[in-house]
Amino acid sequence: MVHVTIDGIELDVSEGTLILEAAQSQNIAVPTFCYQKRLAPLASCRMCLVSVENMPKLQPACATPVTDGMVVHTASEQVALTRQSMLELLLANHPLDCPVCDKGGECELQDMVFEYGAGASRFRDQKRVFRSRDLSLNQVIIFNANRCIQCQRCVRICEDVVGAVALGTIDKGMDSEVTGFENSLDDCDHCGNCIEVCPVGALMSQPYRYKARPWDLVETETTCPFCGTGCQLTIGARDGELARVRSKYETGINGETLCVKGRFGIDYIDSEQRIETPLVRRNGALEPASWNDAFDAMRGHIGDQSDIDGRRIGGLASAQLSNETLYLFQKMLRTVFHTNNIDSSNRWTGGIYDELPGLIGGLYSRQSLEEVISADVVLVVGSNVTDDNPVTDYLLRSKIRQQKNHLFLASVRPSRLDADASACVRLLPGDEAVLISTITNRIFDSRAGTHQSGVESLAEFSRQCAEAVKAATTVTVLVGMDFLRTPNAKLALPWLDGLIRRLQGSGKAAALQFLFDRCNQLGAWEMGVLPNHLPGWQKNGERLFEQAWDVQLSSDPGADIHEMLRRCAAGAMDCLYILGSDPMSAYPDRIQVENALSSADLLIVQASHHSATTKLADIVLPGAAFGEEAGTVMNNEGRIQSIRAFRPPIADTRRNIDILTQITEIFGGNFCGYSLGNLKPEHVFSEITQLVPSFAELSPANVAEEGALSRRAGYRDIPQSSALPLPSSVERTGQSNGKLTLVTGDCGFHSGYASEHSATLSGIRAEAYVEVRQSDCQAMGFAQGDLVKIRSPHGETTLSIRTNKQFPPGLAFVPENFASQHLNRLFKQGEFSCLVEILPNEL
Amino acid sequence: MFEKVLLRSLDVPESQDLSAYEAAGGFKSLASVLANHSPDELIELVKASGLRGRGGAGFPTGLKWSFVPKDTEKPVYLCCNADEAEPGTFKDRALMENDPHMVIEGILIAAYAIGAATSYFYIRGEYGVSTERVEAALAQAYAKGLLGQNILGSEFSHDIYVHRGAGAYICGEETALLESIEGRRAQPKLKPPFPAVAGIYGCPTVINNVETLSCLPHIVERGTDWFRSIGPESSPGPKLFCVSGQVKKPGLYELPMGISMRELLEDHAGGPLSDNFKAVIPGGVSAPMIPGSDIDVGMDFDSLAGAGSMLGSAGVIALDDTACVVRVAARIMEFFNHESCGKCTPCREGNDWAAKVLRRLEAGSGQREDLDQLAFLCAGIFGNSFCALGDAAAWSLGAALKHFRYEFEQHIDDGECPFH
Ligand SMILES: Cc1cc2nc3c(=O)[nH]c(=O)nc-3n(C[C@H](O)[C@H](O)[C@H](O)COP(=O)(O)O)c2cc1C
Ligand code: SF4
Ligand code: SF4
Ligand code: SF4
Ligand code: FES
Repeated sequence: MVHVTIDGIELDVSEGTLILEAAQSQNIAVPTFCYQKRLAPLASCRMCLVSVENMPKLQPACATPVTDGMVVHTASEQVALTRQSMLELLLANHPLDCPVCDKGGECELQDMVFEYGAGASRFRDQKRVFRSRDLSLNQVIIFNANRCIQCQRCVRICEDVVGAVALGTIDKGMDSEVTGFENSLDDCDHCGNCIEVCPVGALMSQPYRYKARPWDLVETETTCPFCGTGCQLTIGARDGELARVRSKYETGINGETLCVKGRFGIDYIDSEQRIETPLVRRNGALEPASWNDAFDAMRGHIGDQSDIDGRRIGGLASAQLSNETLYLFQKMLRTVFHTNNIDSSNRWTGGIYDELPGLIGGLYSRQSLEEVISADVVLVVGSNVTDDNPVTDYLLRSKIRQQKNHLFLASVRPSRLDADASACVRLLPGDEAVLISTITNRIFDSRAGTHQSGVESLAEFSRQCAEAVKAATTVTVLVGMDFLRTPNAKLALPWLDGLIRRLQGSGKAAALQFLFDRCNQLGAWEMGVLPNHLPGWQKNGERLFEQAWDVQLSSDPGADIHEMLRRCAAGAMDCLYILGSDPMSAYPDRIQVENALSSADLLIVQASHHSATTKLADIVLPGAAFGEEAGTVMNNEGRIQSIRAFRPPIADTRRNIDILTQITEIFGGNFCGYSLGNLKPEHVFSEITQLVPSFAELSPANVAEEGALSRRAGYRDIPQSSALPLPSSVERTGQSNGKLTLVTGDCGFHSGYASEHSATLSGIRAEAYVEVRQSDCQAMGFAQGDLVKIRSPHGETTLSIRTNKQFPPGLAFVPENFASQHLNRLFKQGEFSCLVEILPNEL
Repeated sequence: MFEKVLLRSLDVPESQDLSAYEAAGGFKSLASVLANHSPDELIELVKASGLRGRGGAGFPTGLKWSFVPKDTEKPVYLCCNADEAEPGTFKDRALMENDPHMVIEGILIAAYAIGAATSYFYIRGEYGVSTERVEAALAQAYAKGLLGQNILGSEFSHDIYVHRGAGAYICGEETALLESIEGRRAQPKLKPPFPAVAGIYGCPTVINNVETLSCLPHIVERGTDWFRSIGPESSPGPKLFCVSGQVKKPGLYELPMGISMRELLEDHAGGPLSDNFKAVIPGGVSAPMIPGSDIDVGMDFDSLAGAGSMLGSAGVIALDDTACVVRVAARIMEFFNHESCGKCTPCREGNDWAAKVLRRLEAGSGQREDLDQLAFLCAGIFGNSFCALGDAAAWSLGAALKHFRYEFEQHIDDGECPFH
């Protein structure tokens, strides 16, 4: 601790505290431009200069750590004059075109001049003008260099946090200009973080251009609907219309950052693909109908409660819906349709649900990501974090660079984070089991070296990782989507479980989190949207729920999506109720899913947007989209956060919770006495808090502020079997006969199937592509951009080819985000990677 | 006549050749250091010599070396600062062109003292001949085992890489120079950490000027007492003075540190072209001008600081009474404005503004309030800029305004330049 005096206030602060931070802790405002909490100090704008006794010059408060006995004055006349001078200097060449500047009203330069500036400027020469028209740098960024104050916040956030290094500064002195390579940012991430941190109207958002003045906007704080990172964002609406999305300084897990999806993709809710009225299939065609017609049609098909055979009915929901909606969905299925046939994803291969309760219920670290990634060693397995969870990628990068802790990265595809990793290795999907077992054995025992990895890089990576783990006191494992998608997941999960337990047993603080690419996968499971568990991972048939819900629950073990589809195809299902999900596009094996969905007697789809699945439906119920319905979601940290409505459901759409409640009522159930019209999401939330231990004692008010971490509570501890079979690495033989291993996942510009509806995101990237190693591409005789045919034993599709020098040999990646690509034709059921040939398109 | 040490071979033909340097006793100091001194002893020796850096700031060289952490696991680097871009300065160039092996020997001695296995020779981009001669000298030194592995059969190994600047003055500032070597945009960096602790690639790095390094073989050869016997107690040694401007015999002079400015300009450089000196800039354009009436001042770090200026790079620019101070001030500000790296607000914006005002004043279209603007700019920049470039711009302009305000007023009142 050091003792300092600032403006007469004495305080003790920890060593290394900046004068600025110490002042802020006493509510002493020190004006800044170039300072930004998450960026390394630059100390270039000189706005924060303060006087320090016994120092000849004024010192930058943003970069000067306090020392013991330091006496600081922030309010002296010299300091005030200096601030005035800096502002007068900055304004000398500033165009002062505030009336036509999008930033006007929320511009830091305006605010500063108002607060600290002189009333008039003495400058009477010609102002510097870079160009008289704004420069479009890419589809989302437009730039006015004349307004730039050279704080370099944009350049630094792009390099240090986003890691893109797309922005730089050219020329020097007064000619210094921030720009992209050859005045373009067409190849950058389009994340817009540079726009967000720009204090003035230099870097501006194109989609928001001239749409509103800040004071015309009604702002709504909410949680991003895309990935599981759970970023906080602020929707600005003008007259009820979405005008823009912003992130706020030091708010939420994301601070001031967002990725392109969150910042520019929310306009998917305004897509022409929105379903505006209920649709009912009549004489083979889907036709608009009233809600009553739709409900009547449902009743007509299903009959009364007494007619329902729970084994012949099932539901699939999207993990992007709120806890409240998901809770009501499974409750409806369980209480009025008497079924446990419930699932929440198309993508997990079977069998993982037996392993999850111990892991997620018991071991999962419900803890801030910031904390878990501060561990001495962070091991990321099976995720392309940069594409799947971009803001998690930013946080990891910043952390590793600042704290210099170890990052070990094991993934199928290369990513930008590789550059900051202590070691990285390329896996094939399914290798995760052998990786985790090898690392475990290397850390803990004798069997080290006896494993059958066979893949040298993997063995070396495991050795290095194990060495680092042995030397560490805190270890974190982050597990991504590729891990859960491969059929080997059920082999890998027990090893993961074992690794974490044994690390904890050996006295290390070991943390585990998943990196879900859907915003509420964790919540969906907590809400019981899976076949064999009730909400809160409680075993089917639990008395608690029978009492609370006042029904006899089915004791059937329930079917997952694979089993439901099998049963549909076999004619063993009467009704499939799909909520917000698009298995036709997402489920591996399109032929099979198409078969299954067409074979169900009744296919009900409740969704906000048209999809290949709604086309097959018998009844389509149009639900509210993101931003039209409040609720909560649980991010990858296990944090429960609010989503809020900024407008009512459009056209004839309804809130999802209203639709589900009404159907529950129609079939004779009720919801705790609340009925349509007076049901609020908070009512559902409070029932959840009573039944789901991880939500116990939370109130909507707890959640509303900063979100609330759920708790690790009351789960069964699954005993760990000590002798797990040693897995072996995935066969690599297919590759030798000219085939490539095809994997899929999110690309940087899209998330799942919702983002494709965003005009902005589709403007940036509208089409799928196949990405391969550059030398593979050459060896196959193709050049970047060529149209090629990709053929698997099950199907084929045509795409343009892209090369990547970092790709491992024999790997092909196609983003899964483009529904019309029918990529799932290439996979057979239960397959995550598959072997493909890449052929000339003409063939 | 003062014995030339640094410039001893100025008139020797092919003095840049290794054989000429060896004939003059070259590389004996290196051999003796490697054989007889531990690095710590060498640092103590240089401390005892009182050698102060010739790059501009006059920082004690031995002390700077001693800041390199002793127990570091990181590689230690040395940079020879040969960016010499201060207007009026041409001493390092003479050393590199005439006696490149002397500089190399100096580098090796310094590198041995700080434990550096690698050094970077950062040469100003415009210095074509210097670069050629240094590169040729390096090749000769490698061929002779004076560079590379186990130099002169010792345990000491060292490599020198030449890095050429690309024309920006700021690259001479030590932290910007490091950024430039790393391939980044050359802008000064925050200190601390100081380069001696975290320089190139985050490793301990010492930056020394060409002339500073060139003194080392002589200090080793002739001893600290000899070095201290030259010049004043607080800044001893032989010194190169680059005299330019309105004098009869402009040129490069090696003289004892602390020689009086009058002696330098009148006895050695032949006096003013016209009758009197109007002003003298003693240390490159970064150094404030001194009125012609005040030239009885010692040409050393402390005496010039006492006179409100600095020795800087010892680029002595003389103005006789036909010179227009407004024009000189305007030219100098154009230079700083052109060379401002653009990082910090006061230097970037302030120099541009000041240059615009001075242009106007020089042309005779200025107004009285322009002088207030200049006073405001000097105060706004000086002490507030990130590095010394901004300070220098304001400081030198401030001196012109202070000593020659009437010339500025004359331009305003006459509506034209009284000298041109
Ligand atoms: C704007 C600026 C330009 C500089 N240019 C040079 C230069 O060209 N050559 C030089 O040796 N030092 C230059 N310096 C000084 C260096 O930063 C540094 O102090 C010097 O190289 C240290 O060497 P020394 O200790 O041997 O003097 C410059 C400093 C500033 C602020
Ligand atoms: S949009 Fe993102 S990636 Fe592109 S320049 Fe801005 S910060 Fe960098
Ligand atoms: S564009 Fe904006 S953020 Fe970037 S340097 Fe200029 S003012 Fe700062
Ligand atoms: S004073 Fe500022 S702008 Fe000028 S050169 Fe130094 S850092 Fe760059
Ligand atoms: S905020 Fe401190 S110098 Fe810019």
